[in-house]
Amino acid sequence: MIEVEHLRKSYGELIAVDSVSFAAHAGEIFGLLGPNGAGKTTTIGCICGLLVPSAGHVKVMRHDVVREGTAARANLGVVPQDIALYDDLSARENLAYWGGAQGMRSPKLRERIQQVLELTGLQDRAREPVKQFSGGMKRRLNFACGILHSPKVLLLDEPTVGVDPQSRVRLLDLVRAEAQAGTCVLYTTHYMEEAEALCDRLAIMDHGKVIAAGTLTELRSMLAERDLLRLTGMFSPQAARTAIQQIDSVEILQSDESLLLLSLAGASQKLPAIFAALAAAGAELRGTTLTQPSLESLFIKLTGKELRE
Amino acid sequence: MRFLFTAVNKDLARLRRDPLGFATSLGIPLVLVTLITLVFGGGQATPQGRLLVADEDGTLLSQALTGAFSREPLSKMLLMATTGREEGQRRMDRGDASALLIVPKGFQNAFLQNQPVQLQLVTNPAQEILPNIVEEALSTVVEGGFYLQREAGVPLRIIAAEQTPSDDTVARVSVAFNRLGRSLTKYLNPRLIDLELYVTAEKREDQNVAAIFLPAMLFMGLLFVGNAHALDIWREQSWGTLRRLTTTPASLGTLLGGRLISLALILSGVAVVGVAGMRWFAHVQVASVPLATLWLVLSGTAFYLFLVTIAVHASSQRTANVIGNLVVFPLSLVGGSFFPFEMMPDWMASIGRFTPNGWAVTTFKAFVAGSAHTTDFLIGTSYIAAVGSLLFVLTLRRMRKL
Repeated sequence: MIEVEHLRKSYGELIAVDSVSFAAHAGEIFGLLGPNGAGKTTTIGCICGLLVPSAGHVKVMRHDVVREGTAARANLGVVPQDIALYDDLSARENLAYWGGAQGMRSPKLRERIQQVLELTGLQDRAREPVKQFSGGMKRRLNFACGILHSPKVLLLDEPTVGVDPQSRVRLLDLVRAEAQAGTCVLYTTHYMEEAEALCDRLAIMDHGKVIAAGTLTELRSMLAERDLLRLTGMFSPQAARTAIQQIDSVEILQSDESLLLLSLAGASQKLPAIFAALAAAGAELRGTTLTQPSLESLFIKLTGKELRE
Repeated sequence: MRFLFTAVNKDLARLRRDPLGFATSLGIPLVLVTLITLVFGGGQATPQGRLLVADEDGTLLSQALTGAFSREPLSKMLLMATTGREEGQRRMDRGDASALLIVPKGFQNAFLQNQPVQLQLVTNPAQEILPNIVEEALSTVVEGGFYLQREAGVPLRIIAAEQTPSDDTVARVSVAFNRLGRSLTKYLNPRLIDLELYVTAEKREDQNVAAIFLPAMLFMGLLFVGNAHALDIWREQSWGTLRRLTTTPASLGTLLGGRLISLALILSGVAVVGVAGMRWFAHVQVASVPLATLWLVLSGTAFYLFLVTIAVHASSQRTANVIGNLVVFPLSLVGGSFFPFEMMPDWMASIGRFTPNGWAVTTFKAFVAGSAHTTDFLIGTSYIAAVGSLLFVLTLRRMRKL
């Protein structure tokens, strides 16, 4: 459904996306996970034809997005990160316009507008100008415009940014429903919990590159059931490092004067030994956070930094 | 093609939702013309106009005839300018003068021989008072000529018959004129009738001011509407709808085409009202209502294309706004779309006519006056189509990068 091969997008010397490859299939929710600036939106831009790749190939339903752009876009539904709606038109008028842009015609268009309005819970406000909508309602309408023509491939670029919890749950349900109906969904987010709850497969991106990819289970196994221990305070990096290295199977991920990041199995049992070793090394501890294996900890393990940094 | 209809529908729906913006753009010039009419319309000022004279005869008699217009009180109302027949016709087409008087070659000879001769007077239908004054004055002079011919026809013909009159002929003609003079003395000195002249303001003088200003203001309105509509492309950019459209099979070219069509539809209504205003508010006989109406629509659409090309090439919405105003206001002022060309110094009017709106307003006046026809419309349309195509391509190229 979506095939991305060695995709590269550069702006002069700045490489936004570097040799990214992945494939997403029908009925699957494929997540692109990464911090802001990781290259997720650029990748989406290349897939939907907004940007021309500097190198590599992107195919949507086997149509090359550069050479057969119109055919590729006919199969595509895009829900952009920033809400893209006519503020002065009503929900129904917006839907009619975007349906028309996808080549839909009445009566099918009218029928489908009614369906998506009900699906997104906007049927009661369908005739009001969008500028009177709340942020969550606009997000839902933004989503409705993307799925109106029942696309075979749906690109969702951080669709829940700035959305209230209620609308978020509703949106995620809608995304699941689309995938269950056989749509190939590409979902970008920097919310780990969302990716864990929603995606069948994931690619984690950082600095324009895919640094890990696979199913949730496969990615978790990369952590080998190791916990993540984050210690803050005042450390002498060299002394702390020497002290920790004396404890069995503790891996130092990051170490500086205020932060010590450790990866270890059975952290709760080893905490007293770690505290004692650090105290002996003259460290002054101020905070301790223990995280169980998750995408967040995997990201930190792979990049040495937090996802939201 | 299907999307074109959708795009037109969308633009019309947006206008229905916010008619005030459009009404403001168009309303400002119309308010101005009303105010100007009210301010100047009721005044007692002597109307001033221009009389063009194409003297193809160039004889003593033709000069005597045209000289009647350079004497008071006519000279206070009319500035006389000599010109050629074709140049005079062109200037009349542009609405440059109140009337054009053509004195044909052979006029003096025909008069002396008591042969029929035709003077041609072309008047400006956009004006009412001054052309009538010229017409009245000319008929008085012609009538005078008739009586001169009747009373002194014989001696005049004697002179005309001889290339170089002999002493005998000159003596006979002198005697005849002396007798004629004496017979008229009893009527002329003292005068039998004392004519006292009162000039009262014509009831509909205010409508003439409107007639001068209304075409200018209509075009100013078109420029304002075009500018406001052009800036709307930046609203679409800020809403992200332009970018979103590029992710669909629909093209930006169709979107732009839809904007042109929807604007043309709206302007059709404006043009109908404008031309009706010319007829019933300004009391101008519009020679060709369909051509004048279509020309307004075409001009307004072309202004939009011109201004949207400028707007999309700006670096931001704010810059587009500033540049748009920097273009529209001077063009309005110089291009006869605020101050009519009739009120401008000649040098400025001749520059103004080279501006896009100056050309359009001049052509419009020619359709109103009836001196331009379908062929001129087609030629004008083809110019606009050629330039418009170029502007369309430039706009589209830039829209893809917005």
